[in-house]
Amino acid sequence: MFASPTSWQRTPQTMEFETEFEMEFDMVFDSPNYMASTDESPNDSRNFGRNQNRKGDKKPPPIPTGSNGQGIPAQPSAGWTPNTSAGKQTMRPLMLCQPFVKASLLKGSFKTIVVLPKYVDEGEWIALNVFEFFDYLNRFYGVMTEFCTLRNCPSILDYSWLDANRQPTRLPAPTYIEYVMTWINNRLNDEIVFPTKAAPTTTASLITPSAHSANNSGASTPVAGQPGDWIGKEGGFPPSFFQTCKAIYKQMFRVFAHIYHTHFDKIVHLSLEAHWNSFFAHFIHFAREFELLEKRDMEPLKELIDAFDAQIAANSSTNKAT
Amino acid sequence: MFSTQDQGSQGQQLFQNNGQYDASGLAQKLQDQHLNSRTPSSPQRPKTSGSLQAGSDYVVFERNTENFSPQTREKAAATKLKVELFYNQNVQHAVERNQRRMELERRLASETRMSEERKDRQRQQLGKHESSYLRLRRTRLHPDDFLTVKVIGKGAFGEVRLVQKKDTGKIYAMKTLLKSEMHKKDQLAHVKAERDVLAESDSPWVVNLYYSFQDSVYLYLIMEFLPGGDLMTMLIKYEIFSEDVTRFYMAECVLAIEAVHRLGFIHRDIKPDNILIDKEGHIKLSDFGLSTGFHKTHDQAYYQRLLEGKGPNSPAPNQGRNSVLVDAIHLTISNREKINTWRQSRRIKAYSTVGTPDYIAPEIFIHQGYGQECDWWSLGTIMYECLVGWPPFCAEDAHETYRKIVNWPETLYFPDEVQLSYEAEDLIRSLITSADKRIGRHGADQIKLHPFFAGVDWDSLRSIDAPFKPQLKSITDTSYFPTDELENIPDAPAVAAVRAHEESGAPFSSDDTGLPFIGYTYKRFSQLHSKGGIP
Repeated sequence: MFASPTSWQRTPQTMEFETEFEMEFDMVFDSPNYMASTDESPNDSRNFGRNQNRKGDKKPPPIPTGSNGQGIPAQPSAGWTPNTSAGKQTMRPLMLCQPFVKASLLKGSFKTIVVLPKYVDEGEWIALNVFEFFDYLNRFYGVMTEFCTLRNCPSILDYSWLDANRQPTRLPAPTYIEYVMTWINNRLNDEIVFPTKAAPTTTASLITPSAHSANNSGASTPVAGQPGDWIGKEGGFPPSFFQTCKAIYKQMFRVFAHIYHTHFDKIVHLSLEAHWNSFFAHFIHFAREFELLEKRDMEPLKELIDAFDAQIAANSSTNKAT
Repeated sequence: MFSTQDQGSQGQQLFQNNGQYDASGLAQKLQDQHLNSRTPSSPQRPKTSGSLQAGSDYVVFERNTENFSPQTREKAAATKLKVELFYNQNVQHAVERNQRRMELERRLASETRMSEERKDRQRQQLGKHESSYLRLRRTRLHPDDFLTVKVIGKGAFGEVRLVQKKDTGKIYAMKTLLKSEMHKKDQLAHVKAERDVLAESDSPWVVNLYYSFQDSVYLYLIMEFLPGGDLMTMLIKYEIFSEDVTRFYMAECVLAIEAVHRLGFIHRDIKPDNILIDKEGHIKLSDFGLSTGFHKTHDQAYYQRLLEGKGPNSPAPNQGRNSVLVDAIHLTISNREKINTWRQSRRIKAYSTVGTPDYIAPEIFIHQGYGQECDWWSLGTIMYECLVGWPPFCAEDAHETYRKIVNWPETLYFPDEVQLSYEAEDLIRSLITSADKRIGRHGADQIKLHPFFAGVDWDSLRSIDAPFKPQLKSITDTSYFPTDELENIPDAPAVAAVRAHEESGAPFSSDDTGLPFIGYTYKRFSQLHSKGGIP
């Protein structure tokens, strides 16, 4: 079923991963040999594609600060208005067309890699995943920078950036994305928001009676929403941690949306669509699991997400049938 | 490896099979539109006369990256590999995490007398370990996270330091490699991939790599610290080994090389400097490819130049001097002073850019290809050195050594005053021979059955008492490393240049803060919470 979108590739291979917990998760490789080119050119990852945009030699983007004490960045000036023009039927976006809409590197249940592992701190789990999504999104965007130029992309959907005076400003996509990525990178590097140095206190929280009784109930996750308790509290994350993650997630989604809407043909030319689709699907599944994205924020790619969901549903019913 | 031509034609093939094939001229036009398109909506061409399988939304799209820059194509190829690795590891992490939990549950289930409360605490403890492992995986390590205890090695591209991780207090060996000197990119990619596998092999015969990261100047490898030093230092100290001691080290080397070969790799650079001694006195192999001078010593062109007599220091070699007879006499002089001079220069050579070619098999720099058996040649030369006191093809300069190795049938010589058992000499001669006759070419068992190893219990070798067990005063004891000597050895030119630059206060492009571990960072759960190993 999944073979067809990838069968143009050389010797597709499916790797099965047996796990003890009933969930399976497979990868389809176009080439099992990644010995051939694992050269990580050291400078292509953390700079945001075009400008060697490094922390330190780059002015921080003019984001609003202290709006609610958490430095939530730009908001869209208006909601996303779906492009329901009449030409839609005849000009179906490439991302929704076969065979590419079905292209996928991964098959099986995303639960394997999305669900909070037992006994693990929810804050640490979300932090690591947000970190990794950013890392790989940045990598993908780095591939797009040849095309995502001021000239080619004078705007980015309906998103606008709040400038220093909190005025919504329309920016060219590359500028907007550069601001977004820099902003996210700065958050991720912020020891207060994403602490790394001080390891989570290993025993202290167990000694306190309240934590202990909570643990006895079998749930290791602190119940968010209770006063004095928040996601990531145990690991030393600030109370705003979850909100920050949501804000990061929202902005990352916009980068996904821009690439899908504007550069998906490049993705296909470069034979990246299976990897890109699966990465996006993973991103969405994680968002749902932890409620990191609002429904309205997902609107720009709703049709694609629906298509992915339909495929998963179709696959699971086929699996049950066989 | 990134052959768009191929992919394009295969793509057509597929569509053709589905009855979706479009005239390539049309597709080409479409193609041009794609590349010139400036509108946000993706160019596409809906196929209306759809086939049964595909439906009406099936498009024909001819992939073409000809107009893309090589950089973009490279980035795309790298991204693909990275993403595959990422998901592979992601699943692997999930599996291992689950195994750890199951293991704990099994253990707790068998502890019938343990209170539920205590069991619960153990589960929570596992959760804490897992959580801190997740944290480690997003931690961007920085050289400042480590405290230098001492410099314990120097090389052409950097140095090795004994370090302590500040937050955990754990001890490691930190190898720094100058990125600017490792410019042979394609070779490096290959090397890195090998290193990845070996580092994660968890073999007791291979030095563990725990983390790696980089800044704009250096690549940092955080490895297991083996306090016993290396075989080179030991040979410098003891000059020669008895046959019993030699048997022990050679037997361990056989198992270690076998382990590397079983993983599908060739070490290529087995030499006494790369045979490290752990705290129990057993050996581990290190330096898979990123050893000092790797790309120079394995550069075919470099060898060729040397063999043609255009060595770096001898542009016009005196051909007359290179007669075999002269060399033979030269070596047989049982002159302690001469050998001691060689021995002293031994270490200097090890630090030089070129490295020492003494242990490299002839086929590596003569023929196009070579196989695993090249490692067995190296073993033979090391065994010779253990018993005789110097390597079989040692000479005053590298060029001379190369020439001797190539002419091994004439130059391999056992000095009369060194008494070797028949078995020992026979094994050496079986190892130092042409690749098609070399013992071990059909697997390590061939070597294990050699009479020299009669009586060796191969299965328990690593658990028996080693002939020399390091006497250590502390976990940071560096008495088995030539630390005093190192102070007098000047930095390699490239290293010195960078250091001078650093000390001048001139800023490097400071992208180090933004650079995390760029994909190839090893972060091991076992290291975080291991009970064994170095505390």
